[in-house]
Amino acid sequence: MSKRVLVLGAGIAGHTAAMLLRKQLGREHTVTVVSPAANYQWIPSNIWVGVGRMKPEQVIFPLAPVYRKQRIEFHQAAAKVLFPEGSAGSSPCVEIEYTDEARRGQTARIEYDFLVNATGPKLNFAGTEGLGPDQFTQSVCTYHHAAQAWAKLQEVIAKLERGERQRIVIGTGHPMATCQGAGFEYVLNVAFELRSRGLSDLAEITWLTNEYELGDFGMGGAFVKKGGYVTSTKVFTESMLAEYGIGWIKRAGVKKVRPESIEYETLDGEMHEIEFDFAMLIPAFAGCGLKAQDASGNDITAELFLPNGLMKVDADYAPKPYEQWRVEDWPSTYQSPKYANLFAAGIAFAPPHPISKPFESPNGTKIFPTPPRTGMPSGVIGKVVAQNIVDSIRKGSVSLEHRASMGRMGAACIVSSGFGLFKGMAATMTVHPIVPDWEKYPQWGRDIDYTVGEAGLAGHWLKHFMHYMFLYKAKGNLGWSLIPE
Amino acid sequence: MNKQAKFSNYSEESYPPIPTGATRFFRTCIPYQMIRFVVLNLKIMRIVVGGHS
Repeated sequence: MSKRVLVLGAGIAGHTAAMLLRKQLGREHTVTVVSPAANYQWIPSNIWVGVGRMKPEQVIFPLAPVYRKQRIEFHQAAAKVLFPEGSAGSSPCVEIEYTDEARRGQTARIEYDFLVNATGPKLNFAGTEGLGPDQFTQSVCTYHHAAQAWAKLQEVIAKLERGERQRIVIGTGHPMATCQGAGFEYVLNVAFELRSRGLSDLAEITWLTNEYELGDFGMGGAFVKKGGYVTSTKVFTESMLAEYGIGWIKRAGVKKVRPESIEYETLDGEMHEIEFDFAMLIPAFAGCGLKAQDASGNDITAELFLPNGLMKVDADYAPKPYEQWRVEDWPSTYQSPKYANLFAAGIAFAPPHPISKPFESPNGTKIFPTPPRTGMPSGVIGKVVAQNIVDSIRKGSVSLEHRASMGRMGAACIVSSGFGLFKGMAATMTVHPIVPDWEKYPQWGRDIDYTVGEAGLAGHWLKHFMHYMFLYKAKGNLGWSLIPE
Repeated sequence: MNKQAKFSNYSEESYPPIPTGATRFFRTCIPYQMIRFVVLNLKIMRIVVGGHS
């Protein structure tokens, strides 16, 4: 009997899931993707767009031709309402609103037998007054934003070339923002570009972060073998910034942005202000705002999603103090506890709690990073969700044999600056697992033999290699499925 | 880049380790970095393959 699999979102998690589902399911089954964007974007390379080393078109490709070739049904639309029990006698379905030129604003309902919610983050610029590319700061979270950031950065470069001092602030734009890795990579790239133009002396660059210590990256930091010592990523990260002449402010929660200044609170409860000519601040992430209704039309959004809009899955969401957090709290199948045919992948799933230790200022402001789920974890989660759906369809009952917990999987973060084969340098960090497992690894929280922190050309090559390899894979070119997530 | 030109003594930015000439050399030494490229690829592959079941 044919089954219908619906994937919401065409980012790393959703696209990975859709491609694998289509490859492994017979033609009698349908795979449908709903995404409000017409293009796939390889987000890690947005950093290069933000410093003018790549054009936006080098980090994107249109989704429609790829899905046509793969026989995946594609709707350029935003998911609005989820009906997991169906609506007016229908099968489970999702109400969508088209975003393409021809059908903009029109709505439709798509029925499904299995649903993958991979809607990614809503970039919550509104969570901080004055934040975002429509206000006073830049972003590299999308290729559009990155292109705008580069245009703005060129104005700064022009002023530096005229001998004017410029203040550059890069970091997190909300007390609980995540994705420090992207911001850190951008600040190093900006410093590299200014140095290569001989403009460093006139530029005052500051890394502004909500981390308790530098190198936390939303995963509680890490320990790495380096120079005959086991040392923390705090030392590694501070060393990189100091080498590039970048100052830093840590334990800072940005509260408000004005046209030329940023107001932030530090963990000691003090309010501060820093002036800028150019600022790139990562916003807080939230769910995409998907609503849910049961068969009677009652709103069940709060049963399926946390208040931040991220979807509840097979995690332990019981509130508990930091000291009682365990890797077993983290999900491994990403199945909704309420509906067996509903899964969340990538940033769309709700983590059970942060990875970094929570801190609060005397004023009650929570200042710490939320957990990162981008890149490699998103791809792997998309893969196991697809594998379990394929098994479930083949067996005729829900199967959850494939598992991938962030307490068991690792991740690589390559922070590369410069461009080209020999003009650049990267800091490569790998951790395994992402969520520290203090029971299995009581001394360092992670497998120290596979947790790497090193700087050099090798990581820079890896970054370039990954750009071309993952875009090749995402396009479904020959042998794409042999390339790991 | 020389950190002393940017940061004064006793500032937090003045304390982290700064790479020596030898460290900088190895960072851009092509034969050494080719070896590191292979090692990093193997470590990442191990992480990818071992991360899910």
